[in-house]
This record gives sequence, C-alpha cells and structure tokens, in this order.
Amino acid sequence: MGCESCTDGSCQSEEKGGLPPGMLQRYRLGVDRSDGFLVWIETERDAEGNIRVCDHVKELLGKIRQMDGGRSRVWGVIFGHLELKPLYPELYAHGVDTLYEVHDRVLSTFHPEAYADNLAQIIVRTEPAVVLFGATPRGRELAPRVAARLDAGLTADCTELALSDRDLLMTRPAFGGNVMATIRCTSFPQMATVRPGVFPVPEPFREGKGTVIYWQSTCRILKDIISSEIKRDSGEDITKARILISLGAGVKRESISVAESLARKLGGTVSCSRKLVEKGWFNQSRQVGQSGKTVAPDLYLAFGISGAVQHLAGIGLAGRVIAINRDANAGISEVADEIVVGDANAILRELERSL
Amino acid sequence: MRFVVFVKQVPDTTLIEVDENGNLRRAGVPSILDPCSEHAMETALGLRSEGDVVTAVTMGPPQAESALRRCLEIGADEAFLLSDRAFAGADVRATARALSAFVERFAGDATLLLFGRQASDGDTGQVPAEVAEMLGREQFCYSTKVERAGDAFRCTQDYGDEIRVCSVPSGSVVSVSEGDVNRRLPSIERFMAVRNMTVTVLGRIDLGLGNFSVGMNGSRTRIVESRNVRSVRSGTVIDGSDPVGAAAHLREVL
Repeated sequence: MGCESCTDGSCQSEEKGGLPPGMLQRYRLGVDRSDGFLVWIETERDAEGNIRVCDHVKELLGKIRQMDGGRSRVWGVIFGHLELKPLYPELYAHGVDTLYEVHDRVLSTFHPEAYADNLAQIIVRTEPAVVLFGATPRGRELAPRVAARLDAGLTADCTELALSDRDLLMTRPAFGGNVMATIRCTSFPQMATVRPGVFPVPEPFREGKGTVIYWQSTCRILKDIISSEIKRDSGEDITKARILISLGAGVKRESISVAESLARKLGGTVSCSRKLVEKGWFNQSRQVGQSGKTVAPDLYLAFGISGAVQHLAGIGLAGRVIAINRDANAGISEVADEIVVGDANAILRELERSL
Repeated sequence: MRFVVFVKQVPDTTLIEVDENGNLRRAGVPSILDPCSEHAMETALGLRSEGDVVTAVTMGPPQAESALRRCLEIGADEAFLLSDRAFAGADVRATARALSAFVERFAGDATLLLFGRQASDGDTGQVPAEVAEMLGREQFCYSTKVERAGDAFRCTQDYGDEIRVCSVPSGSVVSVSEGDVNRRLPSIERFMAVRNMTVTVLGRIDLGLGNFSVGMNGSRTRIVESRNVRSVRSGTVIDGSDPVGAAAHLREVL
C-alpha cells in the first residue's frame, strides 16, 4: 500500500517508525533546540451547523502572544477536511504561523487514538517547547494520550501560564480551589491543558497570512461509532455570561422560572450548584464548581447557595459576588462581597417583580 | 471475563474545613473511597455475570487498604494494593506507569479496565488515557453507560455537546463519570466474609519496575510552589429579613 501521496512506493511512512519523505533524521525531543508553541485547534459546530474555531483556542493564542511578545513560532494542528479552509485566515490573524492540517474526512469526527497518533508525530517533527490544549472534555481526553506517547509531563486544568526563560510555569487550583499550585515540567515538550474562559478572547492583530501543511494520517485505529447525537443546549454558555443568577439547594423549584425571567430582564444567565443537578432540575452544563464549570462573570448572584469548597472553586474569577442566604456564616460568605441574609426565594421574586 | 477497576482513596472533601488563615485542616479528616471510583465499581458489578471476576486495584500508602476493603464489601472478588515507598510523589505519568505495569504482569487478560472519571481531591482524570496509551489500548472517557452487546461491550459517552455510542473492543480502558445512585447496600454476610479476605500488596519489585520509572523519579512534573488563595473579601452583611427592602438594595447594586 505505502503512502498514498507517493506513487512509486519509495515512501515508507506506512511502516511504524518510518520517516516522513524528505526527512533524513528523526529529531530528538528534550534537547535545547526545542522552541515555539504548538496548539491543538479544536473546532465546533455552531447552531447553523457551520464549523468554527472554539473560543478557547483564540484565548490560548492570545496568551502565547502576551507571554513571549510574538517572538516564538506558533504551530497549530487541526483535524478535518475541506470544510476547514474558511478558518485559515482567522487562525493566522490570531497568531498561528504554520498550520498542520491532518487532512482526512474521517477525522472530522473525534477519534482520540488517531488524533493522538498524528499529534505526536507532528510534535516530534516540529519540536515545540510547549504544547497546549483547551481543558475541554475532548482536550482532556487527548492531551494525556499524547503526553504518554512522548513521555512528557502534563499539567491539567491550568488557570494561569507564565514563561520563565524556556520553562513554562503552569498554575492550577488544587484541593477544591483552596490551593494554587505552580507546576513545572521536567522534560520537553511541556504540555498543559488550560481551562476555557480564563484568558480574554483577543481581537485579531494582523493580516491573515501563514502556511498550511497537509498531513497524511497513517493511524488505522478508529472508533466504531454506532450513533452520535449533537446536544443543542437551549441555554447560553454560562462561562461567557456577564451576569450569572446562580441557584442552590436553598431555592424552591418554583423559583427557577422566576430566576429565568430575571435573567432575561438583566441580560444574564441562570446557573446552579451541584445539588440542583443531582435533583435533576438542571442540566450539568449549567453547573458551577469543580465538577462543573469555572465561570468568570462580572456579577455573580448566589441565591440559596451554601458554598461548598468545590463550588467556590468555580467562582474564583468572578468579579463581584453577592450571596443571598439564610445563614450569614455559610461557606459562600468567605468569598462574597456582600451577604444579604434573608429568604432567597422571596428576595428573588421581589427583585424580579421590581425590575 | 475479568473486570479490573482502578480506585482511589481520597480525603472526604465534604468534611474539609478551612481555618481562619485559609489553611486546610486536613488532620483528622477521614479517608473514603472516591465517589467516582465507586461509580466505576458499580459499573463493573453491573456487567458481571456468572463466572466473571471483578478485581479492585489501588495505588497508595498502606492505609489505602481500607478503600479496597470497601470495594470488597461492595462486591469485588479480589483486591490488589500497589504500595511502595518508591511510589511516593508520583504525578500522572508515574502513576500511569505503575498501573500499566500491574496490568501487564497481573491482568493482561482483563476484558475491561475501568476508572472513575476523576478523583474529588483535585485529581484531574488524566490517568486513564495515559494508561490506555502505555498499554496500547483504546480509551473511552466520560462514559455514562456501559452495557453488554453480545460478547463485546457498548458504551455511551457524554462530551457535553455530543452524546455518542461506541462499540468497545475487549481490553479497552473505560472511565466512568456516572453511576447508579440507588445502588444496593452490602449485606451483613458480605461484611463478615470480607473480614477473611486478603488484600494482596505489591511493591515496585513485584511490578518489575525500575527506580527511575516510578514515584518522584518517574514524574515529569514538579510543583514549584503552592500557596493558599482563599481570598477574603469585604463580606458586608446586609439584613434581608424584609424581601422588598433587600430587592431594592440589590437593584441599586445592579
């Protein structure tokens, strides 16, 4: 069979461990030459079914540029087929210098084994000092697989990145957000997954020009997908909301519709604590906290939320926190700017009515 | 068939308190079997039919045996504790190395390798995928349901924006994110029987691992510093016993 792009069969890329055409020697990782950043470009479908670049990818590209002033090279790796073409200018404009496109129609859907195999090969080829993923479900599934292949260190769920010479200092919350641990990798490439929403989404800063390199996938391990159903969540994304009206175990079921109406009036979104997800009142996509989402609204209104450490871990980036609660000494009081002591249901209803 | 479940012992995070300086009071907090690990156990037990074996494995200090005892009570048939001083300070990579060495030596024939999605003590759910890669197996993360489909399995994965159903080949790594809340409680007879069961302890030598592939030496990350970040905010307390007044106050803030 051989490589599909060569007709004379001289190319050995089918063989595992073979070199890509034109490459005389396999580069070694972990040497001082390693430089630059490589980012996995995750894509998603919007409501109309059009493909778009996820926001966290732009956040990562913006953070890279802010950290090193645009001096090092930035590689992007994207998986898919012809539908990706309209995305190129946007990626270049946000700082990608060289885009590796793993050009395969099958890989438009997520196959972790094949994705990891191709990413590892591209990383060995390009020798980046740093490899970044978004800490989305897919990113968190893919990154460890790549790290294990390359025998590299990996820090998950980072909320802050900093450069010290060539070392990347990765900061992540631990123990339910009570401790921030700064972690360094001891080998190259240094790998991290970064939580979406922790850095601002930057504006494009240059004209969209760059190079795309088409990469042929040689991985034959594909998942046998029986069925796939795209979830259309009715609500907005709570990680992007400016005002969050968050409900906890202290509110009654009738108050949910009141909160939704209030959210509409304020231009905000309704989120919730874990207890309400367990009760089945809300979808997990609405959950704030360690096992839910990290949110960064300007205003966080916590109605009837006691504030377990796991919940507080999710609101560390919130601008202003106002808790409405019966208990002035509840856990949430430790992070709240203001605690209104009273019946959350009554105050919620009154607030909704008065607006 | 053999189902190997990897579990973790964690401090009960719901009981952790914070003192006035923002430090965690970890002393005296009881250790429990991680809830996600329990989901993985339940999944394995649900798949078990006549003649199948469920194996519980954990890596940790000698005290982690109590988590394995709990697994035996729930219904595991055998339990292995990977414990060695050399394992201390392991990061994701070193942990995955030890677990995959266990599978290679003691459970190469396992039908499914099950994990909890993530541990509640700040772990990140990266170990399953690293183990899968080290063993060269397929991985199925965020599984909400695993069921038998003839001789093979079928699992439902929830990616947040997509739910998909895949067929799972034998020997795959599955990480489970949800479990049955209404599970049965272990019987008294089971409790008594477990007291006579042994937990096999395996060290670094038993797993055939070198000093430089486990623990601190086998880790690829180092913690540079860790600091407490309990931010103390102004925390003004406002009386809200009158809903109308409280609502008026909130409206001003908006």
